[in-house]
Amino acid sequence: MANISIRNICKSYGNLNILKNFSLDIDDGEFVVLVGPSGCGKSTMLKILAGLEAASSGTIHIGKRDVTDIAPGDRDVAMVFQNYALYPHLTVAQNMGFGLKMRGTPAAEITLRVADAARSLDIEHLLARRPRQLSGGQRQRVALGRAIVREPQAFLMDEPLSNLDAKLRVHMRAEIGALHQRLGVTTIYVTHDQTEAMTMANRIVIMKDGEIQQIADPETMFAKPANLFVAGFIGSPGMNFLKLEQAASGGLTLFGQVLPGLPAVTLSGGRNIIAGLRPEHIRMGEGAATITVHPSLVEGLGSEKYVYFDTPVENRVALQGVVHVEKDESESQQRGNRLIARLMDVGPVRVGEALRLSFDPARLHLFDATTGVALSPADTLAGTG
Amino acid sequence: MKPRILTQLFLYAAVLVTCAFLIFPIYWLVVTALSQPDQLRQLPPRFWPADPNWSVFSKILGERPIGLWLANSALAAFGAVTISMVVSVLAGYSLSRFRVRGGQSLGLFILTSKMLPATLLVIPLFGIFRMTGLIGSLWSIIFAHATLIIPFTTWMLKGYFDTIPRELEQAAMVDGCSPLGALFRVILPVSAPGLAATALYGFVLSWSDYAFARTFLTNAQNNWTANLGITTMKGEYISNWADISAASILIALPILAIYLFLERYLVGGLTAGSDK
Amino acid sequence: MAQSRFSLDLARPSRQHWLGYFLLAPAVILIAAIIIYPLVISVDLSFQNVGIARLDQPRRPFTTDNYARLFTSPDFWNACWVTLKLILVVTTACFALGLGTALLVNNRFKGRSIARLLVAMPWAVPEVIATVIFAWMFDSSFGLFNWLFITTGLADKPINWFSETGPAFAVVATTMVWKGYPFVSIMILAGLQSIPDDFYAAARVDGANAWQRLVNITLPSLRPVIGVTMILVMLWVFRDFSIIYVLTGGGPLKATQTLSIMTYEQAFSFFRMGYASAIGVVTLVICVIAAKLMMSRAPENL
Repeated sequence: MANISIRNICKSYGNLNILKNFSLDIDDGEFVVLVGPSGCGKSTMLKILAGLEAASSGTIHIGKRDVTDIAPGDRDVAMVFQNYALYPHLTVAQNMGFGLKMRGTPAAEITLRVADAARSLDIEHLLARRPRQLSGGQRQRVALGRAIVREPQAFLMDEPLSNLDAKLRVHMRAEIGALHQRLGVTTIYVTHDQTEAMTMANRIVIMKDGEIQQIADPETMFAKPANLFVAGFIGSPGMNFLKLEQAASGGLTLFGQVLPGLPAVTLSGGRNIIAGLRPEHIRMGEGAATITVHPSLVEGLGSEKYVYFDTPVENRVALQGVVHVEKDESESQQRGNRLIARLMDVGPVRVGEALRLSFDPARLHLFDATTGVALSPADTLAGTG
Repeated sequence: MKPRILTQLFLYAAVLVTCAFLIFPIYWLVVTALSQPDQLRQLPPRFWPADPNWSVFSKILGERPIGLWLANSALAAFGAVTISMVVSVLAGYSLSRFRVRGGQSLGLFILTSKMLPATLLVIPLFGIFRMTGLIGSLWSIIFAHATLIIPFTTWMLKGYFDTIPRELEQAAMVDGCSPLGALFRVILPVSAPGLAATALYGFVLSWSDYAFARTFLTNAQNNWTANLGITTMKGEYISNWADISAASILIALPILAIYLFLERYLVGGLTAGSDK
Repeated sequence: MAQSRFSLDLARPSRQHWLGYFLLAPAVILIAAIIIYPLVISVDLSFQNVGIARLDQPRRPFTTDNYARLFTSPDFWNACWVTLKLILVVTTACFALGLGTALLVNNRFKGRSIARLLVAMPWAVPEVIATVIFAWMFDSSFGLFNWLFITTGLADKPINWFSETGPAFAVVATTMVWKGYPFVSIMILAGLQSIPDDFYAAARVDGANAWQRLVNITLPSLRPVIGVTMILVMLWVFRDFSIIYVLTGGGPLKATQTLSIMTYEQAFSFFRMGYASAIGVVTLVICVIAAKLMMSRAPENL
């Protein structure tokens, strides 16, 4: 086991920059998740870490050793692939022992270690089978087994759960978490799924267009997103975004009212502020800031309800290219035009009927509308000068 | 329900008639081989050999060096396929996996050379083989057949490698293989069916050649291939069609056997590089 | 250890792409030696007055006589015309027969896989053997076709298939169609199988009958496959040597002498290799144009 130090890694194909100055220090035994939309460079980073692709510049150290240009097989890391990449012509036992065999480990020891790993993953009865005779979940376990048998310095996992169905995915998520707890091996895990990142990581690295957006533990990531992109990416349903209006009094208005409890500030140069409000921070009934809405859609999920309503025209924001939305551009357009409240244990809510909702302005996240960077109250105050 | 039964009946009839009609020449070859020579000089012809003359095969094998011709054909095919496969496996893998500078134009050239007429290459090859003393030697057609086979096998194999996920060799490399080790320990074993189909396809191409053998081997009787040998039988002033047919069956048999095995790979092979 | 150090080198991330070049090297060398170099020689020969190619002797003076002679030779234009006729006849017939058999065995019925196997069987018969079969069936004394033609009244006396120009052309064309249609059939079958069943289901719901489904769904969906296949068949006819050479040798009276046969005859019967190379170069140019045409139809696989 070892710490990993990634320094200023860049990767480009011609004019296309896949990775821009990626730097990250990973502690021994840490579970780090690289997360971001497809094409953000997270998988490329993992491949560079594994030695399967060359970096254009930068260095990588595993432990004390500079491995920037060391062969993948000599880095002492193990990798789990999205499609598992089990060797179809070998049995499960041979698959798991392949890496040890390549390193010249005696056959007896290979058998022993494969048996150990198989027992811990509950796949002992599959050892003589071939990959095509296994179910998706079993293949996943074998792929994990192949990694742990090696007892490597680090595990690299490239979207290992995305080929599983939803239920199995939740189960394997817990299992990988438990495995990490037990073995304590440094793990770098790549995914596009923020839920996986939030539930599994010690630390999350959010990426977009080859650049790191924020590095933080899940709590901080949720509570203090560094910019609009992170704020929109983490959390489900995603954060609501509103454009703040400058009131004549110098304060900021939302839903036609000057917000109480917010410092009456503005940014220099007439720049705009975007406010973020998490759906779970909107409550039923009166509160510090109370609004009346007419829901356009109500989704009941049993214990909780998602209530959708329109953003007042003056508070709408254009979010294209700023906030990541899985589907398409019209989706992100929508996201700037409507709000979601996530209400727990409430009575019947009907579409079109007036509904009183409230929120605490202190819970608002404020962002510079131009740069997307999060503003602390101090920033906004400074902006007045 | 009734019209459906009728269409079904009609369908069977149509299939039966079509098959019978199209396969008839092959059937006729067999009937001819098994007929007594004098029966072939009668009209109307007999469509069913009353007393099949099975001894024609042993007779023809005794009279003509068909065994030698078949062995020569097999040897040439084996040599040409071996050379072609070694070269095409490596090149096909490279074209499938690496972005090599000029790789695409090489691929295009190979694809175009599938369409070269043999009659064009045969002249300069004749010159080259004359100079190197290979005329009359099986090596001449081994190399000549390689020009036919390599373009096909390279594209077939590239197509086959494209269907194998890259993660497989990446996993092997993380497990400690060198890139070449990954190719030999993982990719090639996994590709075994594709390699077999490709090699057999190359075998068919070599076995079917006539132009090169005719040009390079006509004066070297001991190295005649099956196709060359049989055309010399046909050219004799009295053609004994029963004998020729029997010899033809012996020559076609290996290819028909391969065809039965290859049938399901055929489409992929024929269309490789020319269609999606 | 020395060996493992070598493989280690290629395994380094910064050098992994070298392997691509190493793997390609044998192919490049071999192709250069047995395809490109001969092609260059061909072109070179076509500009010399050469009888038998002797590479170990000094090059003859450069001349364009071969081409000048070629384009004024009635034989050359005759060969072009024969080639064109043969291509048109064989390709059309192969298309009709191939499409028909493909549509037929694409239906659902018991024994369909055997029917498929049989329908495509002539593909697996070596060309030389196919010519043997048809040479015998078209035999002028005891051949099946003459007997058939006379008993059905299509002819009143035996036809001399191989010594009359029209019949000889017919024999060559028939043999090539029989050998060539299975390829079309195989390709179209593959194309048929890639048409989603939903298309037909939707058309049935819309009340389209079998003919309308064929014209409006099947044929348009098959267009790319048919295009590529037809070009491949044309090229095959264009290049073919063994069927024609063994059946008729290009005769009688050059009635079946295509460009391929003419090239070969000039080179190896009359030993005018320079002149023959010039014909070959012309065929090469035609082939390259056809190949380009085909690739522009199927660009996505390159």
